[in-house]
Amino acid sequence: MTPLLQFENITLRHPSLERPILLDINYSVQKGDCVVVLGANGSGKSSLLKLLDGRYRTNAGKIILKNKNILSLSARARAHCIHTLTQNAQDNLFLNLTIFENYQLIQKRNKADTIDSLADYLYSFNPNLATKLDVLVARLSGGEQQALALALAVLYPPEILLLDEHTSALDPKTAEHLMALTARIIHERHITALLTTHNVNHALAYGDRILALKEGLVHDCIERNDKQNLTAEMLMARCY
Amino acid sequence: MIALLLATLTQSLTLIPLALGINLSYTLLRATDMTIDGSFVLGAGVFAQLVTMGISPYIAFLAALACGAIAGAFTAFLQNGGKVDPLLAGILTSFILYSVNMAIMGRPNINLLSTPTLFSAAFAHSLTLGWLSVALLIGLLVVAFYALLQSRLGLCLRAFGDNAMLLSRQGYNVTTLRFTGFGLNNLLAAASGAITAQIIGYADIGMGVGMTLIGIGAIVLGQHLILPFVKKHYLRAGSELLAAFIGIALYFFILNGLLRFNINPIYLKLLLGVLLALFLRTATQKASLT
Repeated sequence: MTPLLQFENITLRHPSLERPILLDINYSVQKGDCVVVLGANGSGKSSLLKLLDGRYRTNAGKIILKNKNILSLSARARAHCIHTLTQNAQDNLFLNLTIFENYQLIQKRNKADTIDSLADYLYSFNPNLATKLDVLVARLSGGEQQALALALAVLYPPEILLLDEHTSALDPKTAEHLMALTARIIHERHITALLTTHNVNHALAYGDRILALKEGLVHDCIERNDKQNLTAEMLMARCY
Repeated sequence: MIALLLATLTQSLTLIPLALGINLSYTLLRATDMTIDGSFVLGAGVFAQLVTMGISPYIAFLAALACGAIAGAFTAFLQNGGKVDPLLAGILTSFILYSVNMAIMGRPNINLLSTPTLFSAAFAHSLTLGWLSVALLIGLLVVAFYALLQSRLGLCLRAFGDNAMLLSRQGYNVTTLRFTGFGLNNLLAAASGAITAQIIGYADIGMGVGMTLIGIGAIVLGQHLILPFVKKHYLRAGSELLAAFIGIALYFFILNGLLRFNINPIYLKLLLGVLLALFLRTATQKASLT
C-alpha cells in the first residue's frame, strides 16, 4: 500500500548550529496511523513537524504527501491537508478573537452552520465552550483553549494532524483528559496523526507506532506488534 | 461654551476618516502606521492640485483616495516578507512622501478659497447646508467602514493583526491582507486630508505633521473611556468607532479650550504632547492591571 506520507533522506540544518537538526531521516506513515515521535529535548521532534506544516524547509531530501512533493503544494492546499496543534495557545488560536470568530475563520464559505450547531459541536469537546461563544479566547482556561483548538482542527478533518506536545502546558488531569479525547477523535475520524510527547505512557497507550529520534537521527522505530510487548520502562530505555 | 463645542464638532468632523484609518491600523492591524502623516498631506495636495487645474472635484477626490491607497500599499510592500519593520516602513514612506507631495503640489501651499470644491456650492448656499454636506460624505465613509469591519474581510484584518503567522498557516494570503489593510487606512487618511483642505481653504505641505500621534492618542483615550463598558464582543466594532469619534472630539475640545485660555501657541504642542503621554500611560497601566 502506498504510504500517505514519506520522509525521504530528510536533512535539516541551521547555519548557527554545527550539528544538523535532522540528518538523513527516512520514514513512512500510512493513512490512519497515529505515530508518536519520542526523543530528548533537541532531538529534532518538533523540527520534523515544522517541516510538514511549512514553518521549516528541508536542506536535502523530499517529503512526499499523497504522491506529491510537499513543496509543490500551495500554502492554501497545505493548510487544508495539514493542521498543527502545539502547547502554545497562540500557535493554535487567535487569542484576541472570540470563539465564534475563530470558528468563522476556518469555516468553509459555502457552509452555513448556525451558532446552535456550533455550540452542540463544541459541547462534545468541553461543555464550558458551548456557553462562551462570544468570549475572547484569551479569557479561556488553558484546558478550554486546547480543547477548542482540537475541536476547530478536526472540524474539517485534515489529512494529517500534527500534535506537538499539545498537552504539556496543562495540569496532569486536564492533560490526561485532552489526550484521551484526542486519541478518541483521531481514531473515530481516521485521522493520520504525528504526535510528539515526553510521556511514554501516552506513547504506549495512544500511538500505533513509535519513532524515536536522537540527536537528529532515527534512533529506533517501534512497530505496532513490537509495541504490545513493551512496558513504559522498557520504552524509556529504548528511546532515551 | 457653545462656540467651543461648535469649533470642536467641526474640527473633529473632518478628522473622523483619519480616526477610522488609525483605528484600522492601530486597533485591527496592531501596527503604528506613520505613513498617515504623509498620506494626509498627499490627499490634500492631490485634491488641491487637480481642482486648481480645473478637474472635477469628484474626480479629484477619488484621485486623492487612490493616491492615499497607493502610499499605504507602498508601506505594505516595504514590510513584505519581514524585510522592514512596520514602524520603520511607515516612517520611510512618510519621509519619501514629503518630496512626492512637494512635487505634486509644486509649492508648499495651494489656496482653495476661490476654487470650486465638493462643498463650495453648499457652503455658498448656507453654512448649515455646507456642514450637512460634509457630514453626509463623512457619514457615508463611516457606514462603509463599519460594513467593512462587520464583513469577513474585517474579521480577516483583525485576525491578521492578532496573529498573521497563524492566519498564513490556515491558508489565508497575508500579503493581500497587508496590502488591503495598509491601503485602506491610508485611503481614509487621504480622504481626511482632502476634506480638511476644502474646509480650511488650503492644502499645506506641513499640515500632516503629528497627525498619526494625534490620532493614536485620541483613539487610546476614546477606547480608555468607552471599551470598559462594552461587555458584549459583537458590539466591539461599533464601540471602537464610537471610541474613535469621542477621542477625536475630546482632543479638539481640549485644544480649543487651551486656545481660549490664551496659551502661547509655542507651548501648545508641548501641552498637548504631555496630555497625550498621560492618556497613553494611564491606558497602558489599566491594560496591564486587567
